[in-house]
Amino acid sequence: MAENNPSDEAGPKPIGADLIIPVAAIIFTIYYISTILDMKWEAQVSAFLVGGILLFLCAIFLIRTFLEVRSGKATMSFEALINPISAIPKRAMLFGLTFLYIVLVPYGGFTIVTFAFLALAMLVLSDWQKKRFILMLSGLLAIGGYILFIVIFKRRFPEGPFETFVNPIVKSMLGG
Amino acid sequence: MDLDLAFFTGLFVDTFFNYWWVILPAIFLGIVVGAIPGFSAANTIIILLPLTLAMGEEMGLIFMVALYCSSRLGAGIPAILVNIPGTAGAAATPLDGYPLTQKGMGPQALSISFVSSNIGGLLTTIVVLFTMQYIIELVYVLHSVEMIVIMLFGISLIATIAAKDTLKGLIAGFFGLMIGYIGADVIYETPRGTFGFLELYDKVPLIPALVGLFAISEAFLIIERKSILSEAGREKMMNSTWADTFEGAKIALDRWWHIVWTSQIGLVIGVIPGAGAAIASFVAYQQSKTFSKTPELYGTGHYEGLIAPESANNGVTSGTLVPLLVIGIPGGATAAIMLVVLQYHGTTVGPDLFVEKPELAYGVFTAMLLTYMMMLPAGFPLARYMSRVTMVPTRYVTPIIIAFTLVGSFVPRGYVFDMNVALVFGIIGYIARKTDYHVAAILIGVILGPMLENFFIIALRMSRGDVTTLFSSRTGNVLWVCLILSLVLPYLKEWRKTRKAAREAIHKGDEAEQGGTTK
Repeated sequence: MAENNPSDEAGPKPIGADLIIPVAAIIFTIYYISTILDMKWEAQVSAFLVGGILLFLCAIFLIRTFLEVRSGKATMSFEALINPISAIPKRAMLFGLTFLYIVLVPYGGFTIVTFAFLALAMLVLSDWQKKRFILMLSGLLAIGGYILFIVIFKRRFPEGPFETFVNPIVKSMLGG
Repeated sequence: MDLDLAFFTGLFVDTFFNYWWVILPAIFLGIVVGAIPGFSAANTIIILLPLTLAMGEEMGLIFMVALYCSSRLGAGIPAILVNIPGTAGAAATPLDGYPLTQKGMGPQALSISFVSSNIGGLLTTIVVLFTMQYIIELVYVLHSVEMIVIMLFGISLIATIAAKDTLKGLIAGFFGLMIGYIGADVIYETPRGTFGFLELYDKVPLIPALVGLFAISEAFLIIERKSILSEAGREKMMNSTWADTFEGAKIALDRWWHIVWTSQIGLVIGVIPGAGAAIASFVAYQQSKTFSKTPELYGTGHYEGLIAPESANNGVTSGTLVPLLVIGIPGGATAAIMLVVLQYHGTTVGPDLFVEKPELAYGVFTAMLLTYMMMLPAGFPLARYMSRVTMVPTRYVTPIIIAFTLVGSFVPRGYVFDMNVALVFGIIGYIARKTDYHVAAILIGVILGPMLENFFIIALRMSRGDVTTLFSSRTGNVLWVCLILSLVLPYLKEWRKTRKAAREAIHKGDEAEQGGTTK
């Protein structure tokens, strides 16, 4: 499932990034167990069992990694995670926009913030070309989303100026 | 009343002529909501509950059944086209469905999915109609101990699915299980591993986890390419015709026996309350791979790898309704809502329902039969035209996936917090995909974690803390053996294959040596 995995190429495998998940699992398991230490045994036993197996598996993985690096079959490089390097700026900007989308949607409302996110993200990914087309497409998608999710499916999405202005009009058009 | 072929035929004809106009819009609505992560059939039925209650008992049930079946089919569409399952039940579908799309075989893949889903659903519904009283016995023999083994069976699949590296697969699965343990415990309601977030007391929300692991991570991966399709795939897709769509149907029909037996796996698992389509589709996938002559092709766009999960997750639909109608235990969320509707109309479910209102009890399954029959012709145009989505450049697709799936993660609980959960799972999913840890393995863990813990606690409480209770039931012990066999068999097959290849190499070497000596 991994794209551009350099492990298929000749030479030592870059396996530094492979350690992120096991290390995160170890940290999380230790944290989880620290939160159940004072509890009754019923609330502990299952977590101790599964957590114990997970720590054991991670330990085997760490030993395997250590042996591979020591024998020169692998390196501690993080290439697998960051490749292709040319995509890093776009990936970082998209991540920033996604984060901003989540932060701003409760304040700006679904329709306006979705429009802004779609337009900016598409412009960034297409190197700021076809601006008019992207603005139109983003507008159509945001309005379409509003009609589908809020008007038809009646979901309580975060409301902003657009919804405050349009909802009463839509309600009156649909007969209350 | 005689429950013979004439009764069922009459019921079928009645349902068709009286309710086709209810089934048809429900099918289209179901396909749409199934394809959007977060908009499951259960959510939609809840939204439309006032309408369903106003419809009347029989019509309301038929509407819900049609929506439920078609949403299962809809969930496979984004799984195949953009590697994002609409629901957890379709999480095994992209394993082979998405590689087929990348090869430019989107129309064929969708057709395979539609035909397998429809035939799988049809067959299991027919089986249920005639064997309901026997199937239900299954519910009575499965207690907490047996359920623990079934859950572990689900987790053990991770090792087999993540065939590239079993250790990584197991780490991903058990990491998922630990994440699934987040939240208040079922007995004392004390929070565990919640990082202080009140929103996590009620366990990790499943839809945001699904959205993050599959959709957000995939979106960040596909920006590295101009198109979802490979160069050759793009060429193929541009020249695709109706013939390609029907080729998919032929591929599926040629493998009819595969559809038959994998759909029955779905039916059996569907009958078990709580097990659900996610486990069924992975069990079917794993079993299909285990008994395949070409297991190495699974995960590369293998037809059987797509047929198995799709027919199994539709086999679940009829199975889920058996415990609901026969003993009043809903097999899943949608079945639970159906129970509410039946109770609203004053109908008591249970064995008496089949005596007092056989038209209603059996009518549910005839409506299901009709739904599957009406869904098939609707599927082919969808396969032909929806697969065109893959032609849209990733610079447009990526933001759309992120925005609309994040919104989908907000839908079930209405918390903005859940969008953050989706983003966190997106980061985990991205790292997992880049480093060959299976995101589906993490998701299975998150799904099974709370269930495993519940059954574990029940079993231990009933045995007053005696761990040997896990091996105290005959059925449980048989299941333990099956579990061990399912883990060992793939290795045994691989070992035998390697040994055979080595023997042949030695034999060839000997022959060459003898040939050289003779000369």
